Amino acid sequence: MADIYTPSWYEEVKAAINKKVSQLKDIPEGKWNLAIEIVGDGMSPYVEDNGERHFLVAIDNGSCLWYKEIASESDGSEIGKLDYRFRGSASVFDSIAAGVLDPIDAALDGSIKVRGDMRFLLRQADQVQALLEAYAKEVTTDWPKGKPPYGSSAGSNHVGEAVFYA
Amino acid sequence: MRDSYDVIIIGAGHNGLTLGAYLARSGLEVLVLERRHEEGGGLTTEELTRPGFLHNVHANYHTFVDLAPPVKDLEIREHGVKYVRPEVQMASIYPDKTALVVYSDIEKTCDSISRFSTKDAATFKKLFNEAHGYVDLLLGTLMFEPPMSVKELTKALSVFGVGNRSEFLSVKLRRETINQFLDEHFENPKVKAHLAFHGAVCGYANDIVGLAIGFPLLVGKINNWHLSIGGSHRLAHALWRDLANHGGVLVTDAEVASVVVDGNRASGVRLADGTEITARKLVASTVSVEQTFLEFLDRDKVSSDLVSNELFEKIKTEIKHQSWSLFSVHLALSKLPHYLAGEFEPDVDKAWVVNLGYSSPEELNDDWKLIRNNQLADPKPNVAINSLYDPTDAPEGSYTGLLRQFAPYSIGSLGPGAWMDEARHYGEKCIDSWRKFAPDMDAEAIIDWTTYSPHDIATKLPNMVKGDWMMGEISLANMLDQRPLPELGNYRTPIEGLYMAGSTQHPHGFITFAPAYNALSVIAQDIGVDQWWKKV
Repeated sequence: MADIYTPSWYEEVKAAINKKVSQLKDIPEGKWNLAIEIVGDGMSPYVEDNGERHFLVAIDNGSCLWYKEIASESDGSEIGKLDYRFRGSASVFDSIAAGVLDPIDAALDGSIKVRGDMRFLLRQADQVQALLEAYAKEVTTDWPKGKPPYGSSAGSNHVGEAVFYA
Repeated sequence: MRDSYDVIIIGAGHNGLTLGAYLARSGLEVLVLERRHEEGGGLTTEELTRPGFLHNVHANYHTFVDLAPPVKDLEIREHGVKYVRPEVQMASIYPDKTALVVYSDIEKTCDSISRFSTKDAATFKKLFNEAHGYVDLLLGTLMFEPPMSVKELTKALSVFGVGNRSEFLSVKLRRETINQFLDEHFENPKVKAHLAFHGAVCGYANDIVGLAIGFPLLVGKINNWHLSIGGSHRLAHALWRDLANHGGVLVTDAEVASVVVDGNRASGVRLADGTEITARKLVASTVSVEQTFLEFLDRDKVSSDLVSNELFEKIKTEIKHQSWSLFSVHLALSKLPHYLAGEFEPDVDKAWVVNLGYSSPEELNDDWKLIRNNQLADPKPNVAINSLYDPTDAPEGSYTGLLRQFAPYSIGSLGPGAWMDEARHYGEKCIDSWRKFAPDMDAEAIIDWTTYSPHDIATKLPNMVKGDWMMGEISLANMLDQRPLPELGNYRTPIEGLYMAGSTQHPHGFITFAPAYNALSVIAQDIGVDQWWKKV
C-alpha cells in the first residue's frame, strides 16, 4: 500500500493502468501527455487550501510510461506538448482515488474540467473507461490524513472495497 | 490588393473573418473578399429608421460569448467589443397577462417558474445544472471540433452510460422532438411554451424529430445571452481589426465570379470585374453551397471525376434549408414599453427580450404548420429593446426596438416578392399585437418604423438562401458530418484546396464562430499549420 500522492502511489497507479490496458483490444497507437491539476479546496488535507499540485502523465500506445509530480503548472514544453489537461478540486480527485466518486460523472458534470480533443476521448470510450477504472478501483491507497469524506480517521481503501459508485 | 496570397476567403461574415484572423496570426498571407460594401455579413448594424438609431439588421443575440474560443484567442474585447449580459434576459408574456422571466441569475429564474409550477422550477434547476455542467463536453464534442458521426457519438454515450447517469441527456433524444422532451419532463404548458420558444429563437423548431438532442445545450446557456454595445457590427469590426493587425487584407466591393480550378486543385478566384487572384495554398468559401458550387465553379471545366454530376445535382436539389424565416420590424421609440403583465411581474419591463402570446407549445406547433404552408400566422412576435442595456444605440431620451416574427419565405403562391407589398401591412399587425400587451406603444411612442422581410434577408445576403438565416436546415439529418451533405460534411470539398468554412457547415448559423473554427482545424491539419489555438 502507498500513501496518496507519493511516488510509490504513482507507481501503483501506473502498474494498475498498464495491467488493465494489457487486457484490452484495439489500443490506439501513439503518445499522449496529460497534465493533472489538483486545486486545494479547504476540504482535502493533501493539498493546501487554494494551493495546487501538478502532475504529468505520459501514455504510450495506451500504457503509462511515467507518472510524476512537478512543482508548478506546465505548458508541456518540457515533454514536447500537452494533449490533455484535467483540472479539478482536491476533494474531487481524492474522492475518485478513494473510489467514492465516479470519474466519468466528475468529468461529465464539470467537476473536472477537461481540455483537449474530447472527440478522441469519446472515440476511445472503452479504453478511457478502463483506464479510469484502474485509477479509481485497482489501486490500494493509504490515507495518512484521513480519506473522503475526511471526517473519519486515517485508513485505506482496498481493491474491491464496497464503497464504489453504483 | 496583390495578385497572389496564401489564402483567399470568400465572404467577410464572422466566419470568414474568424478563419482569416486565425490564419493571419499563423503567419499566412490572407485575403478576405466581400461582395458588399462592408464586412460583417449577418453582423450588420444600420440606422434603418432615423439617424442615431442603431438597428441590428440580422444578428442581435450573442449567446456563445466566453464559450467560443475565438472570443479570447482573437482578443475580441481588446479590439473594442463590449458585451453586456442583461440581468433580465428574456420573458414570456401570456395572453392572461402573466409572465415568466429568465434572469442571468438562475435562482431568480427558478423563482419565476415556480409561480407557474414548483415542480417545473425544480426540474428546470436540475436540467440547467446538469446541462451547464455538461457544457464543456457538449461544446467540445458538438460545437468546437469537427463533427463526429451520430453513430460514433451514440456509441460513446452508450459506453460511458450517459443515459443512466443523466436524468436529461440520453441517446434517445435523437429520436425525439423538443416537444416530447418538454412533455416528458415538464408539466405546465406556459413553462413549456417559454422553453419551446427559446429553442425556436435559437433556430431549433420544437416539432422537428431529433432536435431534442441539442436542447440541453440550449438550456445550459439560456442565461448567457449577450448584447454587443453599439451594435453587433462592432464584432465584425473587431474581427477585421484582428485580421488587419496580423497582416491580413480585407477587400470589400469585391464580388467573386468564379473559383479557378487548375487540374484537381483550387488555385484562386476571378472577380466580377475580371481580376484574377492566385491562392497559393487554399480558397475557403463561407457563402452558400449553391453559390460555391453552382455559381463559382464552371461545371464544364471541372472534371466529373473531381466533382461528379451526381454531386452537382444533389447540391441543386438536396441542400436543406430552414422551412421558416424571420420577419422583423425595426422601431425608433420615444419611450420604453410598459407591459400590462408588469402588474404580475414588474421585471418584464426590464427584460431585454420578451416573447408575446404563446401559452403552450401546441400554439407554436399550429403556427409552424401555417408558416411551412407559406401562410402568415397571427403575429406573436418577440420584442427586443436593446436600449434597455445599451444606451448608446439611440439618441438621448429615445430607444430602439425590434419585433421578430416567424414567417415564411414565400407568401402563398405569390412567391417571396409578395413581401414587397405585404411587409408594411404585416408590420402593422405585429405592432398591433405588441400593443395588446403594451398599450402605451401608441403612435406617439413609435417615432418611426421599418420592416425587414425574409425576402429582404435573401436579397441583401444571398448566402442566406430563401431567407434561411441558419444557412441550412436545423435537423438531425442535416447535423454533424451530414451537414450540408455527407460529401461536404467535413469542411473539405472534392476539389483540393477548396474548403467550406461558413454556416452551411456543422454546427450551423448564429454567431457561434464554430464553422470557421472547425474548418480551421481541418485546414491546419491539411497544410501543416501549428495549431497554437489548441494548446491545452
